[in-house]
Amino acid sequence: MPVSPINLPTHQRAPRKLLITVAEWTEGSTEKREVLGRRTEDSSIEYNADIETTTDILGINYTDVNRTQPQQDFDPYLILGGSELAAKLNDIRKRNAIEELSQFTIYVITAFTGTAGAYEAEKHVNCTIAYNSIGGDTNVNMPISVYFSNDITVGTVDKLSDDFTFTAAA
Amino acid sequence: MADKHQAVIDYLINCPNILNSPLYFNFINAEDNTNQFLTKSNDKYTNTKYIDGSVGKLYTFTIITFKSVNDIAIVKLPDYPNENVSDMTDIQGLIEWINEQDELRNFPNFGEDCIVEAISTTTDEPTFDGIDEQTEPNLAVYSITIQIEYIDISKRLWR
Repeated sequence: MPVSPINLPTHQRAPRKLLITVAEWTEGSTEKREVLGRRTEDSSIEYNADIETTTDILGINYTDVNRTQPQQDFDPYLILGGSELAAKLNDIRKRNAIEELSQFTIYVITAFTGTAGAYEAEKHVNCTIAYNSIGGDTNVNMPISVYFSNDITVGTVDKLSDDFTFTAAA
Repeated sequence: MADKHQAVIDYLINCPNILNSPLYFNFINAEDNTNQFLTKSNDKYTNTKYIDGSVGKLYTFTIITFKSVNDIAIVKLPDYPNENVSDMTDIQGLIEWINEQDELRNFPNFGEDCIVEAISTTTDEPTFDGIDEQTEPNLAVYSITIQIEYIDISKRLWR
């Protein structure tokens, strides 16, 4: 699979909104999706790489990345009217049904690669979304952390809205 | 994009304090019991940028109210209201109306690209800005600054 170029004019910085994280889950027989990051000012995927470096007798370093454990925190994650994901997580929280936190599919869409109608994306199945706390000052905040499974299917999405279709790369 | 100034004027007209006395936009030939809608600009750098491309913004304006003054001492008897005191109480009504609208989540319509979140006054009482002695009668100048918090979603990518 060839490396995709950045689809921006030369030297243009990629706006943050072009990196999109979307949660997907099943409610009964209905598939639900919701973009993450509404009212969040800053959020990054941290790869938490396990790195091992050895140095030979000549002083040359050899570094191995043994594994990554990607994680993305959303803080604040404000409880907003109309948010089905917030309702889902709050329901799990109330019941302390923590086993249900690991049922999410997460899409990471890099809209700065690919083309309109075929934005590149990666699909992680069996991911976990954990609520870290609930409370706050003026508004109810329930910061969450997304733990990616690394069970990845690479592909594209046809549009940037909840009703997108994911197509796995050939 | 909706005209926010017109949207706020259309909204304020529903307030009895504004409805029952003339309202002027920025320019005014001040007389007793008139109101001036004074626009204010907000520093863009105070905007809050969110990772989805939406931006938290403030729309700020001041309502200046002119009231004729008197120099009669307060009579310490019931049923003898002092004009200056009753004027202040009257102007306070706008603050109470704004607070009520915020509780009811009744906000100006900034159009489909904006989500209005809150409306509030920056003070709990009107500010007394002084006496305009160039007019006859002299006019007391009171001001109330009002802020509307809204999210501009026009640049949001994910709909």
